Amino acid sequence: MNHDDPYAISRRSILQSALGFSALAVNGLMAAENKHVLPDGQPHFQPKAKRVIWLFMRGGVSHMESFDPKPELSKFAGKSIGETPYKSVLDPSKIRKLRIPIKGDANGHTRTKIFPLQTGFKKYGQSGIEVSDWFPNIGSCADDIAFIRSMWTSDNNHGAQVQFHSGRHMLDPRVPTIGAWINYGLGSLSDNLPQFINIGPRFFDLKDGHYLGPAYDAVNLKIDPRNPLAYAKPHGGITASDQLKNLKLTNKLNRIASEQYPLDPVIEARMKSYELAYRMQTAVPEALDFKKESTETRKLYGLDQNETKTFGQQLLAARRMSERGVRFIQIMHGDGAAGAWDNHSGLKKGHTKLSKQVDLPTAGLLKDLKQRGLLEDTIVVFATEFGRTPGSQGANGRDHHAFGFSVWMAGGGLKGGVVNGATDELGYHAIEDPHYVTDVHATINHLMGINPRKLEVPGHKRLDRDYGHVINPILA
Amino acid sequence: MRALTLTILLGFSPATLFAADFSADDYLKQIKPVLKERCFACHGALKKKGKLRLDTVASMRSKDVLGKDGEMLARLMSADLEERMPPEGEALKAHEIATIKKWIVAGSPAPAGEKPEADPKSHWAFQRIERPKGFAPGKANPIDAYFAARHKAAGFVAQPAAARTLLLRRLYLDLTGLPPTVEQLASKDALPKIIDDVLKRPQYGERWGRHWMDVWRYSDWYGLGKEVRNSQKHIWRWRDWIVNSLNENKGYDQMVREMLAGDEIAPKDPEAIAATGFLARGYYKFNRTTWLDRTIEHTGKAFMGLTLNCAKCHDHKYDPIDHVDYYKFRAIFEPYQVRVDVMPGSLDLEKNGLTRVYDGNLGAATYLHKRGEEAKADKSKKISAGPPSVLAAMWEPPKPVTLPDEAWRPEMQKFVQEGVLAQAQTKVTAAQAHLEKLKRQKAGVTQNRKPAPKPVANTKQKKPVSKPAVGGSVLVDDFSKARPDLWELVGNDWRYQGGLLSLTKPSVGKSYLRSKAKHPQDFELNLKFQTTGGDKWKSVGIRFDVDQGGNNSHFVYASAYGSGKVHLAHTIEGKDVYTKALAKRPIKLNQEYTLNLKVRGLLINVALNGQFLFAYNLPRRQAGAVQLLAYDAIADFYAIEVKPLPTATVLKNASEQAKPIVVANKVPVITAGVIELAQAKLNLAKAEYALAKARIDADSARRMQLEVSLAKARVDLLDPKQAAKAAGSIKKLEADRKAGKFPAYKPLSVSKVSLIKTKNKDALPSSGGYPKTSSGRRTALAKWLTHRDHPLAARVAVNHIWMRHFGEPLVESVADFGLRAPKPLHQDLLDYLAVELIESGWDMKHLHRLMLSSKTWQRSSSNLGADKKTLAGDKSNHHYWRMNSRRMESQVVRDSLLHLAGTLDLTRGGPSIASSPNVRRRSLYFIHSRDGRSKFLATFDDADMLACYRRSESIVPQQALAMMNSQTAIAASRAIAATFKPDMDAQAFVRSAFMMILGRQPAQAELAASKTFLEQEPKRDHFIHVLINHNDFLVIR
Repeated sequence: MNHDDPYAISRRSILQSALGFSALAVNGLMAAENKHVLPDGQPHFQPKAKRVIWLFMRGGVSHMESFDPKPELSKFAGKSIGETPYKSVLDPSKIRKLRIPIKGDANGHTRTKIFPLQTGFKKYGQSGIEVSDWFPNIGSCADDIAFIRSMWTSDNNHGAQVQFHSGRHMLDPRVPTIGAWINYGLGSLSDNLPQFINIGPRFFDLKDGHYLGPAYDAVNLKIDPRNPLAYAKPHGGITASDQLKNLKLTNKLNRIASEQYPLDPVIEARMKSYELAYRMQTAVPEALDFKKESTETRKLYGLDQNETKTFGQQLLAARRMSERGVRFIQIMHGDGAAGAWDNHSGLKKGHTKLSKQVDLPTAGLLKDLKQRGLLEDTIVVFATEFGRTPGSQGANGRDHHAFGFSVWMAGGGLKGGVVNGATDELGYHAIEDPHYVTDVHATINHLMGINPRKLEVPGHKRLDRDYGHVINPILA
Repeated sequence: MRALTLTILLGFSPATLFAADFSADDYLKQIKPVLKERCFACHGALKKKGKLRLDTVASMRSKDVLGKDGEMLARLMSADLEERMPPEGEALKAHEIATIKKWIVAGSPAPAGEKPEADPKSHWAFQRIERPKGFAPGKANPIDAYFAARHKAAGFVAQPAAARTLLLRRLYLDLTGLPPTVEQLASKDALPKIIDDVLKRPQYGERWGRHWMDVWRYSDWYGLGKEVRNSQKHIWRWRDWIVNSLNENKGYDQMVREMLAGDEIAPKDPEAIAATGFLARGYYKFNRTTWLDRTIEHTGKAFMGLTLNCAKCHDHKYDPIDHVDYYKFRAIFEPYQVRVDVMPGSLDLEKNGLTRVYDGNLGAATYLHKRGEEAKADKSKKISAGPPSVLAAMWEPPKPVTLPDEAWRPEMQKFVQEGVLAQAQTKVTAAQAHLEKLKRQKAGVTQNRKPAPKPVANTKQKKPVSKPAVGGSVLVDDFSKARPDLWELVGNDWRYQGGLLSLTKPSVGKSYLRSKAKHPQDFELNLKFQTTGGDKWKSVGIRFDVDQGGNNSHFVYASAYGSGKVHLAHTIEGKDVYTKALAKRPIKLNQEYTLNLKVRGLLINVALNGQFLFAYNLPRRQAGAVQLLAYDAIADFYAIEVKPLPTATVLKNASEQAKPIVVANKVPVITAGVIELAQAKLNLAKAEYALAKARIDADSARRMQLEVSLAKARVDLLDPKQAAKAAGSIKKLEADRKAGKFPAYKPLSVSKVSLIKTKNKDALPSSGGYPKTSSGRRTALAKWLTHRDHPLAARVAVNHIWMRHFGEPLVESVADFGLRAPKPLHQDLLDYLAVELIESGWDMKHLHRLMLSSKTWQRSSSNLGADKKTLAGDKSNHHYWRMNSRRMESQVVRDSLLHLAGTLDLTRGGPSIASSPNVRRRSLYFIHSRDGRSKFLATFDDADMLACYRRSESIVPQQALAMMNSQTAIAASRAIAATFKPDMDAQAFVRSAFMMILGRQPAQAELAASKTFLEQEPKRDHFIHVLINHNDFLVIR
């Protein structure tokens, strides 16, 4: 501990009280000594990556019109699936079981009239991977990306967002999300910033830690240096120096009082939480302040264009937070309870607009991370909760589709310019190397040096399916 | 069954063949745990599938499954999924099988005296609760007597009692959730008297009400927009029932019975019926099975500590609860539905009502869902209601309940009848009065027609109107803090935080700040803001010339909808009138804008971020206020400045004349048709009155229903748009009347907010209104649960109460007393207290008294001066040789701050309120649901309304930020400081503040440090702020 400046202490020492057991997240459910020991924050084996930037498109991105183009849909446009050579996709034995939260839901039906691709696609890079014209900039980074075209899930409504993040169906008791597990298992990269940050809207699951405790929930941030997080600035008329004076006296009095309560881990932990809070007040706005970024950088993220500005700012903030030591940055794109990508109608209009918002900034992020040497130990994930039906819904939309969809990953420990898994010619089922959502989690854990089985909490048994399987072919 | 094609070989003769490179001890360490984990659920004490038990070597040998070629290894290694064991999940790992093989090859050595797993029925929590043998405290406090014996046996020395004032702080916070005042801390009364007094305070019911609301998962309704998807409206009555029942000291057993079956056991008592909110809360719009699953799960966990939910898909893996038991329990709830009954006051069920349950579908059948899948329901067999078989001894079969009239025809209650009649009468009276007024006007108008006044025309702008408006003042605000001197603030969703003012929820005109002073007639206004979100229109801007009632004003706003625009409009007599003064500009979210208005006389110039947008001639002006405007938007306001417009400032002229606003006095032309319409409406009102009256006599109701339809059609006939359709209806209705075909009887108070409107067919009650009987199943459940022989209810309740006084439960897994819960260390004490509870008539205050008057509870929570041996032997305080410190729950943090500040509003009960730093009620009355949560409370581990059997106590920096920076905390510190006399000297102030906020005197060092601080920082509210951030404020020592 640095006695000269108590406001510059490493977080790991926050977690060690005089007795040497972790105390910051003292949680009534967890404190029973004999049962549960908090992880020491070290990876279990050599990691390839240190941090995750998680980009989640809410509502369900059409996989056939993003990263798994299906020209057969245009070829058989307007025909029913039964009239095509691929009618076996409707074979009941092939249809994966769904757990339907809403009986009689108007959405999530089998759609049999084929809807043609609403945009074209091209091959990109040396790898020649096909990417839809809605994502040309991401396409231009194809050689750095590992595309996974064979995801599947078991909720065909937007509870699938909960499922993608936690591995469990929305109707099951809530369990920690991948971000919470990473936050729980690994120590802090910074003394001044929260380790798990969420930017953007959420609806179905506003918490992350669940049985791990609220200490592992994401801290919600807004990209506004003036008002980035709850209570970041003192209400009405208290200056920074006043605040520091108050804080110093609080800590001094706590220290004196602690002599009356020896071996009390809570006082120490609370004092440390105040010190971290104090530093966060300046560190968080600083991380979100783009004044010092060059014009080129701003352009790279699309800050100079209206459509891309908002998302671009969020991604630029993510890069800055990566540099400043945040472990898991989760960015949610797509307003609304269901998520804006949920184009049951007006797919072309909707996806054109939305992809325009995210395509350039995402490519910008990849390029920026790469040129700064950060991509080598950062995992970037681009995901959504499910895909959309090859068949049309209404005149011009696609419905929810859980049987096959695409996500991609890039960065530390991952191959670039590869595709893993495949769906059939209609994009209906994941037929080659199918991956349940937890396979993405398993891959992340593996790259971060975590053996998730070692993090299991007594009394909360995890099933094999919760752990997932590492997607080996995409590992470098 | 599985056909086994393998032969079973002779087992090896034990131990003699090979040297024991695998010992019995190795078996215990490496093999038995694996078998326990993967095999005992089916091959152990719980069940013996295939008559095989694997929990002892002896039983394995007796079935001859061991051996290198034996069945066990064969099954473990089989590639055939039909034969492989275990049949679910993954196969045993390769190394586990190898170990088993090694053991078998070594002759499967068995440990001496290996005991089989105990019969689940012998589980400690399934035994009838008795006073422990050999424990007879006599007159002594049983808790003290119990621990005295423990400490003596272990050679422990307990800590002394806590300091008096700390003890009183602990007492008040435990029982009322509010800290004691300085006067209360100074009381010299004996502790038993204080305990009794505090238990009588109504705040006790609120404090412990919130505890039980945690356990019973209280939640206000939530869903999507206006759609109720979970819980129900008006469920606050259940909360009030909890608080009132606790204050009346209703027995716990009675409370349980009322929650599960109040509609059956007290069908005439709306208070008791409100208790069934517990079951109404489980409502889930989309899926009846999900709804009932949650009811089963949480009824099991809350009252019994049984995880019945684990048996939804298969037999319970640990407890003697099988798959059928789950559906027998479901059958208890199968008939129940939710509805809302009319309550005195407003008859509008959206605004007011009694949310409750009733058996709406008496014929509903329960079937077993194979593998828990509804689609695989086994319809060949109906399952009857019943408890888990292992606890069925005290079950009495349900007896159908005949309901009184009020229960199935609530509209027959006198107050409902009177209310409906009064409402109908009011309509008749109003229609009568209107008709008469028209008749008079018609007569009067022909005599003296008033001349229509000239329309207010736009005049060409010649020179500036010189006189400034009355009271034209300068307005400057940086929104860093509330300025009630400048603004009238309306709406609950404004927050001053981080140096700016945020509107946190979109509304349509219900949230605004209106300046108290009028602005100068000729003015320049700058408003700095950013729109941060909203539903559709996302409009943010400013009104000016706002008149007294707010019905007339001009306004300029920036809308982020679509491609964005800045627009000028007027509000005239409450109606918005849009102009052509519009500039299309993209308005982005989370981007700062400065709106600039320059107004001179009737001419206005509007600019955004320094760029001129448009000029316009206003049709008229009036002296008025400025008002912040946010329509369908959430926004941050950074600053506003209003000043007189300098005469030198040049304005751009408007390009065209504005349209004049004609505000003429409307003189209606009374034609014969108008009179006829009014007469028809009067007839309708009279018919509706007659219908209401006649409905009370069911028979004529049906006739009058037709008369109403006819009268309505006659009104519609006079409307040219409806005439054709109405003519058809009249023809049909007259024919029906002639033929005596009257509509079916419809109950008066068909609920609007209950399930009857849902598309979910499962949820509909049987046709024709509410049933006249109830199944009696939930009454049977309630009686069974609170039966003297029931081993779980009292234990679970005592455990919850103990935990909330002592900081740790006696049984760790508070919602699971099944086989995974080992016998608790202090089972004797638990059982003794459970019997006390039961035999006292389930009197919870009796239990509070027992606990709080014990020396055990009154001990110091410090380790200071602890006996070394005790500290080393029991660091975690399992034997309660000292007290445990606990952190305040979120509600207590906020309530305490307000209480110390003297601003807490102790009004009890009533509908849930939207949270806001400006609201002063106790925190338990805030809206508590997934969608409506208080940010401040959420920061301090608020109850998760999905399940909160035990609150978390986290320590995270967000809490520090909240206590350092929030409006709640800072306002409280100022208000608390203001309660001290300003002439108090520093030392007295410090002492007094310590006592008030921390419940104790400061030590010398603390006093010195505080005084030094105050010398540099004489503002006392800063010192108070320091103390409320002290650990010992949040912690209950």
